[in-house]
Amino acid sequence: MFKQFINDLNGNEVYMLFSLLIFFVFFIVATVVLIRMKKTHVSYMSSIPLNTEFEDLN
Amino acid sequence: MQPDKFYYDNKIVRNFAIATIVWGIIGMTVGLLVATQLFSPSMNLGNQFTSYGRIRPLHTNAVIFAFVGNAIFMGVYYSLQRLVKARMYSDVLSKIHFWGWQLIIVSAVITLPLGLTSSHEYAELEWPIDIAITLIWVVFGINMFGAIIKRRERHLYVAIWFYIATFVTIAVLHIVNSFQLPISAFKSYYLYAGVQDALVQWWYGHNAVAFFLTTPYLGMMYYFLPKMANRPIYSYRLSILHFWALIFIYIWAGPHHLLYTSLPDWAQSLGVAFSIMLIAPSWGGMINGLLTLRGAWDKVRDDVTLKFMVVALTAYGMATFEGPLLSLKGVNAIGHFTDWIVAHVHVGALGWNGFLTFGVLYWLIPRIYRTELYSKKLAGFHFWIGTLGILFYAIPLYWAGFTQGLMWKEFTQDGLLKYPNFLETVLRILPMYVMRSIGGTMYLIGVIAMAYNLIKTMKAGKLVSNEAAEALPLVKLGKDEPKEFWHRRLERKPMTLLVLSLIVILIGGMVEMVPTFFISSNVPTIASVKPYSPLELHGRDLYIREGCVNCHSQTVRPFRSETERYGDYSKAGEFVYDHPFLWGSKRTGPDLHREGGKYSNAWHYNHMMDPRTMSPGSIMPAYDWLMDQKLDTTTTGAKIRAMQTLGVPYPIGYAAIANRDVDEQSKAIAANLAIDKIKVSSDKEIIAIIAYLQRLGTDIKNK
Repeated sequence: MFKQFINDLNGNEVYMLFSLLIFFVFFIVATVVLIRMKKTHVSYMSSIPLNTEFEDLN
Repeated sequence: MQPDKFYYDNKIVRNFAIATIVWGIIGMTVGLLVATQLFSPSMNLGNQFTSYGRIRPLHTNAVIFAFVGNAIFMGVYYSLQRLVKARMYSDVLSKIHFWGWQLIIVSAVITLPLGLTSSHEYAELEWPIDIAITLIWVVFGINMFGAIIKRRERHLYVAIWFYIATFVTIAVLHIVNSFQLPISAFKSYYLYAGVQDALVQWWYGHNAVAFFLTTPYLGMMYYFLPKMANRPIYSYRLSILHFWALIFIYIWAGPHHLLYTSLPDWAQSLGVAFSIMLIAPSWGGMINGLLTLRGAWDKVRDDVTLKFMVVALTAYGMATFEGPLLSLKGVNAIGHFTDWIVAHVHVGALGWNGFLTFGVLYWLIPRIYRTELYSKKLAGFHFWIGTLGILFYAIPLYWAGFTQGLMWKEFTQDGLLKYPNFLETVLRILPMYVMRSIGGTMYLIGVIAMAYNLIKTMKAGKLVSNEAAEALPLVKLGKDEPKEFWHRRLERKPMTLLVLSLIVILIGGMVEMVPTFFISSNVPTIASVKPYSPLELHGRDLYIREGCVNCHSQTVRPFRSETERYGDYSKAGEFVYDHPFLWGSKRTGPDLHREGGKYSNAWHYNHMMDPRTMSPGSIMPAYDWLMDQKLDTTTTGAKIRAMQTLGVPYPIGYAAIANRDVDEQSKAIAANLAIDKIKVSSDKEIIAIIAYLQRLGTDIKNK
């Protein structure tokens, strides 16, 4: 079955491999960026919607 | 430092909220009408303006651009002001935006039933309205960025990133998918043809779902869900990953709408691969939303707004799992062109967009009116009848989709199609269509109950048009500020964020489109494929006007089950003169790409007059007006000239004499009909549409 799959790709495997590469590179870079973020900043940013006290009066 | 005192504009939020409710009811009512037309042709109401092909686009446009569109603006105008601690940039621009958008919707309500359509799905509106959409979108953008620039909160919360990505991507999608050559005030031809047009359309169509139905709603989710639950989003880090991954990956996935067509294989492969990757960011967003409620599930029991949000997020998760599943070639081979796709779309539309909108409306209206919700019990009723409505809608259609998809492919032991008559596969699923319309009715009843509940709420309170607020002004950062992490710096630079989002979304589109447009081997030409005769061209435009593409595809996939049923599979070179392409996305009726020569002219005449005389039990509407209406041949020259401009090789000077050929061909068809005792004048529209249908797929037909 696997052999059949390879035959059916008909020279297009480069696009599949290219996609996979983009996928991994993107998520590895993103993970590094996110790990390096400061906790205080993350905490500040996530509380921004909750800082608008006026509409909660009622 | 003294805080600034300023006012939030709640009136514009209220206006968009009312528009959301009104257009929602109208759009869903039209949806219910088209749903009943599918099992009761008499519901086409016996006139051309309410026939299925013309008003199905009205339903889709009304729910997408009127209901969801107004809901987006309601959510953005409310949340953005509070997230940037500033009023919208200009009240005048807010008003122009509001009334301009409503006028665009009204123009759609008028033009679509008149048959004025470009035929591109979810982009049917003709070129003057396209220009109006562009202008109003720019007004929205200026107003949004103006508010962001005068903000009192240095960093932009993730919801705003989603709004910015929505703005820039929809602008790009709309402009690229609207390159048309006008031939009259309300008729134009797309610059692209065939395969290229299909790729542009589904790059647009798929990403309209991504950037109109998804990213602004995710922005709203990231603002309103923490407000409703009174707790911050589960993971801000995950929201950042969610944002960049989603906008980068989504844009590549369009070709999964064109699997097994004549689109180059490599583009199909890219579409499939990126569609599967999409599960990661989509589910990241859903999980982030649901986990925000960790430790607060007791609130969900009592708070109807949270109930709506939970079902919305669950529906988002289901739809975004099912999308990649459907893009797998093996699954797509069965699901595509069936009601499975309709069910899939409605889980997203009714569950994700509808329920999130309702949750926000129930939360927001009492707040801007400084009162309590009129009836929590009625809101609870809305929640349950809406949820049941979605189930009653989707489950029968899944059943119908599986049933029909498998029936199309079933062979007997002798190697013949088990169901060679397409109609047999339609009749089998009619009970499912009835059940689907019951589900739709339930959902609509819920929306009407909500409208009543919210009207009573508004009457009980008083709108705080200008809500007082105060915040410290931003202090300009000096050069000696400590160095920030680059992403943190990005979070306070809206224009950089906009440009970066633009680059991210352009990559996928360019990788897929540029080779398809500029490498000729992607669309091999076929010497025997010739341009349409002027009469066939008129017939094609009537086919577009009547919305035949809503039910009939024109692309035969390379499966034995399809080549046995319809004829040779479709080749890219057959569509090079098709401005626009008419491959369709649903087979409520059979594929028509090899229709030419299958039946006599008389069969087509009688079938269009009353489909049930030729196909007993057919659900196709009658098109009897085509027998009475005279074909407009005054536009022949303009159409030929436009096609020549687009590269269709008609002889030089042909536009001036094309009507001579119209006359000759139409008289030949009328004479042929007369042999079968059908007396019809050769200048009627039916003659042109018969000419077109008889031409379809005959350039390379071999059986």
